[in-house]
Amino acid sequence: MFRWRKALIVARREYLARVKTKAFWISTLAVPAVLVAFAVGPTLLAARTGGSHRVGVVTADAELFQRIKNALEESLQRGKELRLAVTLERLQPSADREAQRKELKNAIVEKRFSGVVLLPETILQNEGEVKVEYLSANVTAVLLIATLEKAVSHAVRQQRLANAGAPPEVARIALAGVDLTPVKVTKGGAESRESFAASFAVGYVLMFMIFFTAVMYGMIVMRGVLEEKGSRIVEIIVANLSPLELMFGKIFGVGAVGLTQYALWLMLAANVLAFSASAGVPGAAAVLTNPTLMLAFVVFFVLGYFLYGSLYAALGAAFNSEEEAQQVQNVAGWVMALPFLFMIPIMNNPDSPFAVVVSLIPFFAPMLFFLRMVLQTPPLWQVVLCFALLVATTAFVVRLAAAVYRVGILSYGARPSIRQLFRWAMGKA
Amino acid sequence: MAHLELRDVNKAFGSVHAVRDLSFSVPHGSVYGLLGPNGAGKTTTIRMIMRIVLPDTGTILLDGEPVDDERREGIGYLPEERGLYRKMQVLEHLTFLGEVRGLSRDEARRRARFWLERMGLAEKAHTKVEALSKGMQQKVQFAAAVIHDPPLVILDEPFTGLDPIATRQFKDEILAMANRGVTVLFSTHVLPQAEELCTHYCLINRGRAVFAGEAGEVRKRYARPQLKLVTADGAAPPLPMPGIHKVEPRNGSYLVHLDGTLPVPQVIREVAARCALSSVEQFEPSLEEIFLRAVEEDHVSVA
Repeated sequence: MFRWRKALIVARREYLARVKTKAFWISTLAVPAVLVAFAVGPTLLAARTGGSHRVGVVTADAELFQRIKNALEESLQRGKELRLAVTLERLQPSADREAQRKELKNAIVEKRFSGVVLLPETILQNEGEVKVEYLSANVTAVLLIATLEKAVSHAVRQQRLANAGAPPEVARIALAGVDLTPVKVTKGGAESRESFAASFAVGYVLMFMIFFTAVMYGMIVMRGVLEEKGSRIVEIIVANLSPLELMFGKIFGVGAVGLTQYALWLMLAANVLAFSASAGVPGAAAVLTNPTLMLAFVVFFVLGYFLYGSLYAALGAAFNSEEEAQQVQNVAGWVMALPFLFMIPIMNNPDSPFAVVVSLIPFFAPMLFFLRMVLQTPPLWQVVLCFALLVATTAFVVRLAAAVYRVGILSYGARPSIRQLFRWAMGKA
Repeated sequence: MAHLELRDVNKAFGSVHAVRDLSFSVPHGSVYGLLGPNGAGKTTTIRMIMRIVLPDTGTILLDGEPVDDERREGIGYLPEERGLYRKMQVLEHLTFLGEVRGLSRDEARRRARFWLERMGLAEKAHTKVEALSKGMQQKVQFAAAVIHDPPLVILDEPFTGLDPIATRQFKDEILAMANRGVTVLFSTHVLPQAEELCTHYCLINRGRAVFAGEAGEVRKRYARPQLKLVTADGAAPPLPMPGIHKVEPRNGSYLVHLDGTLPVPQVIREVAARCALSSVEQFEPSLEEIFLRAVEEDHVSVA
């Protein structure tokens, strides 16, 4: 018979012992710092390297050059937040092509130019597509190259239209583009203009957090069990507790530490969002203030943690040291990392049969089904099925883990074989 | 009715038959010694009483009823494999273990203070366990075993690793509990300790009870009188001789084990007739000797 009172005594000790440590507070502060660094860092870095560029344009045509310059100016103005600065410089083509090319290459190597655009003389005569070379030390500066390409294309089209005698109104019509704005349609026909990228980013971060915390707290449970075995306190406790009460007490206690940490993080996030509301990351706010998603987040964390936490508890009980547990732990780690492989196909088509099937697999569901919920609300039957499968699997795994735990917790002998573990799980000591 | 009774208990681990057909009963208020060489099955027996491992066959009764999780609360237990959470403060730790044993938090804290005081660890209340010496930790473990005032206390090798002062302290605690009417069962392979404390013994060898019962009876039944001889010329008394089981040289004298077939005075006359004696002394063998003989005979009977 399971006695809650006993399990809660263990849980409280576990909780207080961990919340009182410095490690808890350090990780509570460090994790958001790392996440922010991951989220903001690349943008900041990109902006820095985006920096300012001096680009040469080899052309004899001063008018075309001016058009390129204007088009570039305009596009830089529109994309101000990208913090890209480009100054163009016209270079006269010389008679000796090869010599000039060599000279330009030197200039690039010596960093006098970020790059040089080589416009062929025939560029305006031709009516089709033209290959234009761009020489640069850095051909992966995607943003710069895309911006230049757009400016040059625009200018060339403009010049060709003018040369062909098209009236300015026609030219304007021909050159006007279309801006595709994604609008998310949710079940029930509601529309939301939230920035899809931002909402996806937040969804991704939250999914990563579910994975990360389930593994992290699972490992804390495992270490705790190993410590109890190592320090030989188990037998002092199990005189008055069943192994099951001890295992659950431990899982509850550590889980409560996890929820405390989540609560602190959410408070922190709410403050940061309120603070930066003016700067406005509407997508992020949309996810964080969506009660369904937040509820799903917490439920998936709790179920995922129970699923993985009980497995880790069984591992801790079965082995005598972390080194011994390492091999099995690695396999578990790989299985748990699989969702990251499935992420891209699911993002591309969250309703494909593949996405539906893998996201329903209970070991992946806490991450992948949650991701699908962020991307596009899955039908209700899938949500119900997902939770039913996850709860059933968790109950089953907890039962197996408890059987292994019951035997393993008091065995100090040699490392058990897989067969032995299986026998333990089947309840045969 | 016995406080604790084992009936035909068997336990095998794979091919190792750790405990076979073990029966003994522990009367109320007794100090019961579970004796035996290393690997005899003492710890397995105790673990079965504590339901940490379950017997394959046989029954274990507490006050005449099978032990279950609830009834087990009435047993204080100091395991052989024992430790504490290293990072916890002593008072907090003892309070936690008191709660686990079924006390309320306040009561657990009150009794934890009482026991720390009693064990001479009052100043260590807020020290972390890892900063305590091994002996001190053992005192905390001992206190944890009895903090809920159980009517039956089971101690598995309680004296190992203790210095003489702490050993004395533990013995006094056991005697004090016995005086209060608490039943104490403890295992040891150090026999003088058992001899000093126990009212009853059970000697286990290779998983079986060699003998079990009240201390005086065990002695009466197993103790053959012994003679200590010093011969005039220092030579051993010639063998064979009627009534004598064997002779062992002991530091210039000879320890003669009698086989019990002849009365002692007659044996002395037989010896005196065969060699010149300068002194003869009769004494009761120690528990250790009874133990060794019993184990020896057990091996002979099995072999």
